Amino acid sequence: MPELIEVCPVAELKPGERRLVEWEDLEIGVFNCAGSLYAIEDRCSHDDGPLAEGEFDQESCTVECPRHGSLFDLRTGKPKTLPAYVPVDTFPVIIEDHTIKLEVE
Amino acid sequence: MAATDTSQASKVLSENEQLRGINADYEERYGFHDAENYLYKAPKGINREIVEKISEFKSEPQWMRDFRLKALDHFFARPQPTWGSPMLAEVDYDNIHYFVRASERAERSWDDVPEDVKRTFDRLGIPEAERKFLSGVGAQYESEVVYHQVREDLEKQGVIFKDMDSGLREHEDLIREYFATVIPPNDNKLAALNSAVWSGGSFVYVPPGVHVDMPPQAYFRINTESMGQFERTLIIADEGSYVHYVEGCTAPTYSESSLHSAVVELIAKPGARIRYTTVQNWSQNVFNLVTKRAVAYEDATVEWVDCNLGSKLTMKYPSVYLMGERAHGEILSIAFAGKGQHQDAGGKIIHAAPNTTSNIFAKSISKDGGRGSYRGLLEIAKGAHGSRSKVVCDALLLDDESRSDTYPTIRISEDDVNVGHEATVSKVGDDQLFYLMSHGISENEASKLIVNGFIEPITKELPMEYAVEMNRLIELQMEGSIG
Repeated sequence: MPELIEVCPVAELKPGERRLVEWEDLEIGVFNCAGSLYAIEDRCSHDDGPLAEGEFDQESCTVECPRHGSLFDLRTGKPKTLPAYVPVDTFPVIIEDHTIKLEVE
Repeated sequence: MAATDTSQASKVLSENEQLRGINADYEERYGFHDAENYLYKAPKGINREIVEKISEFKSEPQWMRDFRLKALDHFFARPQPTWGSPMLAEVDYDNIHYFVRASERAERSWDDVPEDVKRTFDRLGIPEAERKFLSGVGAQYESEVVYHQVREDLEKQGVIFKDMDSGLREHEDLIREYFATVIPPNDNKLAALNSAVWSGGSFVYVPPGVHVDMPPQAYFRINTESMGQFERTLIIADEGSYVHYVEGCTAPTYSESSLHSAVVELIAKPGARIRYTTVQNWSQNVFNLVTKRAVAYEDATVEWVDCNLGSKLTMKYPSVYLMGERAHGEILSIAFAGKGQHQDAGGKIIHAAPNTTSNIFAKSISKDGGRGSYRGLLEIAKGAHGSRSKVVCDALLLDDESRSDTYPTIRISEDDVNVGHEATVSKVGDDQLFYLMSHGISENEASKLIVNGFIEPITKELPMEYAVEMNRLIELQMEGSIG
């Protein structure tokens, strides 16, 4: 059964900004790409290092793994460059009562 | 009687000559150097200013300049790797010239190449090879390509074979789409360095269905002492196409070390096949730290044939990511480590799609205290069911002082697969030598025979001209190894 978790009020995550949330043993990066919100697992599929703190480009809607440079598409979780080749998990983002929420299970 | 004496004497003389050791004629064949009449030679050391200057010299678009500067930050931020070889600690990044320009542009006619540079390549036999069995040649001298030519009929079929600098000027969109997608600048410290200061190398594009029957070749030459050569190669074989690319390299012997750090990216689209052959014969003052990686999509094949004879230290593990169903990857690696050399070679194959197949065959020979290492990765990802792979790494030790190490890693995340791994280390045994010598073969010849038999499965995969050269080099490496 999916569960909704709160991230922050919409006004607190402006375009080009990101936020890290924790839920159980999961860490999730939430990104505002020029007004669209996306959430991906904070783990590079190449060597399990942190991903969401890497360079974020809202124009191409990508985040770059800070460890080995794989570029991930925030919309799909798919790596656009090697060395990672397995997609990371993505999570549906919902806005309810001016609050950003994530659907997790 | 007198005739016999003479023949005996000449036999002794020739055996004495053979005792000269590793790459005995390297000095006369490749070890010479030219006077430096350069248009520009950067001072030693690396900084933002040098990187900006390289970009400015090449009149690059802003995105490439930004790419270089970002890569430079990655290079500075990363520590020097501590794995692989203790020799890595000897690399002094502040004692290297990062850019040397020998010529104004890449010429299409040998006549237009500067006289002394032309003489070098004439001496190395490049124009002759081009006439006889190549479809194109790129000759890189120091930082840049000084001569570049491709057969006209291939150009008409849409084949692009350019030096990377011209490629960027003339096919910017294509390069922007694929450049650094296989090896991002932050992949490792050396890839970051190459991304910051890259210069030269080849850009190859083969249109769908086109088969390039004769190989194009790139020849890399370092002339200056304490020089860094950082070529960048990108090969894209479009659907159903085929290309075999060959590269070779030499340098003069100096007391100060030089650094060669290339990045090579191969992209084999569905049904395409790329074979990439390297005969590495750098002089023994060169650190050869190279990143080579390929992707193979559905039904595509990528083969690396990697022969390492020269350099002080080589660290190079060509890899293939099998991304599409039924893709095939093949790595054939020979490493010969003589006195003072460490060849840390091997390969990596990643099965990321179902029913993919691969082979890694690695052979290393160590003599006179040289060290040969096999370092490999075989990975089968979840979902790559029905995949098959075979890894064979064999090491031959020619004496008691030499060393061989094997570092194989195998990661399998799928049940329905077939993986084989074999590794052997052997020493040329007295009984083998005795057996051959009992048939009237000299000790030297006998050990050469054993080595030739050992590497034959790989040399037979080389184009004939290169197999001959390879055998000649191996023979030279072998001379004087026994007794």
